[in-house]
Amino acid sequence: MKENYLHNSTLLLKIIFVISVAVIFFIGGITFKHIMVLKKTSTWVSNSHEVNAELERLISYIKDAETGQRGYILTRDKSFLTPYLRSKDLVKNSYKKVSKLTIHSRTQQANLKNLLFYINKRQNYLSKTLYLTAQENYDKTILRNNLIIGKNAMDSIRVKIEGMMIAQKNLLKNRQNDYESTMNYTPLLIYLTLIVTLILITIAFIKMNRDLATLKKTIYTLSVANEANNLAEIVGGFGSWQFNLETNDYTFSDNEYRLLGCEPQSFKASIEEFAKFVHPDDLQYVIDNAKNIPVNSTLPAFTYRVIRKDGEIRYFRALGRVVTIASGERTHIGTTSDVTEEVYAKNYIEDRNRELENNNKELTAFNYIASHDLQEPLRKIETFLSRLVTKDYDNLSKSGQQYVSSIQSSANRMRILIEDLLQFSRTNKNEKNYEETDLNVLLENAKQELTQIIDEKKAIIESTELPTLKVIRFQIQQLFINLIGNSLKYSKENITPIIKINCSTILANDDELLPQNNHRYYKFVFEDNGIGFEQEYAKKIFILFNRLHNKNEYEGTGIGLAICKKIVENHNGFIFAQGVLNEGATFTIYLRAD
Amino acid sequence: MTEDYINICLADDDQDDRLFFTDAFDELKIRTKVSTFNDGVELMNYLNNADSILPNVLFLDLNMPKKNGVECLSEIKRNEKFNDIAIAIYSTSSSEEHIEETFINGANIYIKKPNDFETLKKILSEVVTINWQYHTSGLNKDNFLMRM
Repeated sequence: MKENYLHNSTLLLKIIFVISVAVIFFIGGITFKHIMVLKKTSTWVSNSHEVNAELERLISYIKDAETGQRGYILTRDKSFLTPYLRSKDLVKNSYKKVSKLTIHSRTQQANLKNLLFYINKRQNYLSKTLYLTAQENYDKTILRNNLIIGKNAMDSIRVKIEGMMIAQKNLLKNRQNDYESTMNYTPLLIYLTLIVTLILITIAFIKMNRDLATLKKTIYTLSVANEANNLAEIVGGFGSWQFNLETNDYTFSDNEYRLLGCEPQSFKASIEEFAKFVHPDDLQYVIDNAKNIPVNSTLPAFTYRVIRKDGEIRYFRALGRVVTIASGERTHIGTTSDVTEEVYAKNYIEDRNRELENNNKELTAFNYIASHDLQEPLRKIETFLSRLVTKDYDNLSKSGQQYVSSIQSSANRMRILIEDLLQFSRTNKNEKNYEETDLNVLLENAKQELTQIIDEKKAIIESTELPTLKVIRFQIQQLFINLIGNSLKYSKENITPIIKINCSTILANDDELLPQNNHRYYKFVFEDNGIGFEQEYAKKIFILFNRLHNKNEYEGTGIGLAICKKIVENHNGFIFAQGVLNEGATFTIYLRAD
Repeated sequence: MTEDYINICLADDDQDDRLFFTDAFDELKIRTKVSTFNDGVELMNYLNNADSILPNVLFLDLNMPKKNGVECLSEIKRNEKFNDIAIAIYSTSSSEEHIEETFINGANIYIKKPNDFETLKKILSEVVTINWQYHTSGLNKDNFLMRM
């Protein structure tokens, strides 16, 4: 957008420049012509003045000659003759000068010729008179005639000169008129074109100023971006490169060199130079990837090793894409990141993961096999004991009978422990088979499982309608069995156990026990009127093998509630316990509804 | 008179379990003929022998050397000759995998070996008196595992 704007602007400025230059040439031409005219005019003026002056001088020389002659005739003093004698040459010179000055005017030249005739005539008569008066007895009438002719010639000269002066004046006037007409409109023209030029230049100036401001701003933004980019590269531990697909030229950023342990721009940017740093084992891989650049417009990320200048092996990750830059050239740009730490960390995590997975597998297998295989000898002990009791009980002594029943209860307890452990290890398994299930059915199944003890204790189980949820069936059923079983186990003697199961939907935000968000939860409350417990143990009871009671008072393995917690966690839910000693316990379970 | 006996076979590698098994039937007042085998190979050899009397009910332990219970089960189910034999799995384990696998392979009932001799007697007497035709037609995964 901005580039386009600048581009258009450049075109406009070029046009303005061309117009301005043309106008200035035009004005220059006109001005030159004008000055030439002025120069000519002034030449003509001075020329006219000179002509007039010379004509005056000419006439005065002739007069001087006349006056001198007159004085001589009267006084016979020869000194009066000096001007007369000199005037001949002076008049001749003066005449030459006028002739030279008026060489361009034909009329004046004709006038001059005419004048010359009268001048010669006058001078002839002057010399005639002088010659006549030089004699002792000269004829007075001849003198008088001569003088009259001389005077007439003199008058003609005067008239001629006057005429010439007027002609000269007219000539000057005509010429001035001629040029004045051209001179009249040229200043206006010059003025107008000048104004136009000024306007154009002003527009250009404003335009340039504006462009300069834009340019300045762009350069500033660019330099800031550049600086930020450099800094980002240093902080982020990556470098960037460009590969011009038209010219096959590479450009590396400063940090690209630093990544290799080199000084910025310390060698020519090229794939060959860069390849020197690539680990020999990865070189072919890198070259293959680089070859594909013009083919695919994107370079898929790939990781390779380099050997830095200081010999350290680092992992680099390259990423790139072909773009078409403003000038229309296709350029492949990309980044190189040093991912050594990530690779090491990833390898470490992968190793740890594998180890953990193996450990976990072993543990599960061990747990399962141990519980499973332990059952066999135990079962035999119990079966043999039962045989002993039925067949040979009466043959045993009192203490023998006592020992047998102790062995029986120990074996029984061990069996429960093994069964619970087996249950717990099954809950641990990863198979997450979530199915849409009616929880009422699961509750019914759980009650079925516990029929014997429910009947024994004559317990009452009340429950509201339960929802249908996506759950792991056997686990939720186990959860119900464990919770109800727990309540029955810790019921008060001589009081009918009542277990109330209640379900409602709530928003997580409305319950302080839950993380504050907008998820909807089902809240299941299992409430009993059993022996309860002190609230301070509310958390402890969920820990594996944790028991609040002596095993002689209440049988139990401390695994049941741990299983409950595990099951609820498998369903991304929460379980909490609340207890009041001798009044009852409440277990609250939250399962996600959405 | 052989027709009056219920023929029962047990394949179990555990000597004690074989003893409990035969003792239980001795004490039960049911007319039965019990044959026991120490492993799957022994059992299959017997069944495949043309002269042998085929059992009405066959009790199969799962974990046996040479040929285990599941192998025996699928071998028997493949052979039409043994179609009438009711097969009861008789194992220490009650793991889901085992129950599932044997159910799919066509066993008729799954018995977890009990811890008590009296219970054992009760289970065995019930199993041998089941109307197999009726039981098999209504068989599903839930009633497959025998509960006492």
